[in-house]
Amino acid sequence: MARGDRKRRFELLALPHLDAAYNLARWLAGNTTDAEDVVQDAYLRAYRYFDAFHGGNFRVWLLTIVRNCFMTWVRENRSSRMVFHADPPVGTTAETEETAWGQRPTDPETMLLDSIDSQTLARLMERLPVEYREVLLLREVEDLPYKDIAAITGVPLGTVMSRLSRARLALRRLWLGSEAPEAAHGA
Amino acid sequence: MAHDRIRRQVPALADGELEPLRRFLVTRHLARCPDCAADLEALQSMQTMIRTRLPLHRAPPGLAARIGAALPLEAPPPAPTRPWIPAERFAGTALAGALAGVALTLLLVGGQHGGDPLTADVISDHIRSMQADHLTDVATSDQHTVKPWLSARLDVSPAVKELAAQGFPLVGGRLDYVDGHPAAAIVYRHDKHVINLFAWSDPGHADAGFSATARQGFNVVTWRRDGIAYFAVSDVESEQLAAFAHLVAGG
Repeated sequence: MARGDRKRRFELLALPHLDAAYNLARWLAGNTTDAEDVVQDAYLRAYRYFDAFHGGNFRVWLLTIVRNCFMTWVRENRSSRMVFHADPPVGTTAETEETAWGQRPTDPETMLLDSIDSQTLARLMERLPVEYREVLLLREVEDLPYKDIAAITGVPLGTVMSRLSRARLALRRLWLGSEAPEAAHGA
Repeated sequence: MAHDRIRRQVPALADGELEPLRRFLVTRHLARCPDCAADLEALQSMQTMIRTRLPLHRAPPGLAARIGAALPLEAPPPAPTRPWIPAERFAGTALAGALAGVALTLLLVGGQHGGDPLTADVISDHIRSMQADHLTDVATSDQHTVKPWLSARLDVSPAVKELAAQGFPLVGGRLDYVDGHPAAAIVYRHDKHVINLFAWSDPGHADAGFSATARQGFNVVTWRRDGIAYFAVSDVESEQLAAFAHLVAGG
């Protein structure tokens, strides 16, 4: 292989996803400086392990590394602002109640969802636990299927589905101006 | 189909995760169920809102150049370990506790890409069994009911065990198809997780020990014994599934 080929090949594949990588890191880390560090670290690692990529979806592979670099960064610079939320055990009461989306036949909340502005939405997202923010971003912004979200976040498919449900309910609850999501209490 | 069951599938419909037949059934139910229709509407409203209004962050100018400058031209020396890098990341599995003393070596097969079609097939059967209202044809925790029920319908008499005491209660049995041929699906639970144990006649192959793989967020353990191929599929942890496989196959 000619000198620099590997690097060019990597850049061709990886740089088109820089905005996606940065957006995820920025939403997870919460500020630009840390997001840049996480992304830069992720790209260096991806380059180092480029040979381990055997085809498939490069964006998913890269976002997995971004996500893991973020988790490493959290461990090393554990910030008190960072709210994590452990998934409740499957099958608990909370699970069965919370995964039922929408509780009433005529849901006035539907109207509310339409009337929110970008700044308010961004503020609400920032208040969600990291896992909730992450799963919403991967699903709605990156438009990824459950199986890719499972691969990126390293949890089983069933957990992705229940986490997504809880994330949506938590966002709606925040929106309705009720208490902060239950997750925030346990932090 | 039960309203509650359909209702739980509304998010999967909104997320485009239902296969065509299921999508058809759920959509048909929605047409005559205002509750479920309202669920879908609320969900889609939130999806649209996030997709159209959530501010996105673009990489700052100069970041691409900084990254490019930081990448060495030559391939860096391979690192001794590859923690959490997402290509083949399946770790060996050791059983502890209840299985202490029993060395169960799991041969690690398959990877994130490719892999054998049988594994893909049993995973899709497993997913379908949980989406459809059809987990079991015969629902009983009595092994003496499940086994003859399956034997009467298949050319195979797979092992059916009562493992409730070990944490894997028997739920029932079902006829399924794997790779185009009829197969027994013996259904167990572990906590609230479903374990589908597929078994079919496979006289062409010698007995084989356990091998484990993970795909699409599911764990699969397979083995062959007495001319029968067994595939256990579940989203329980790999250690739990390995323990389960050992209990089923064990004496």
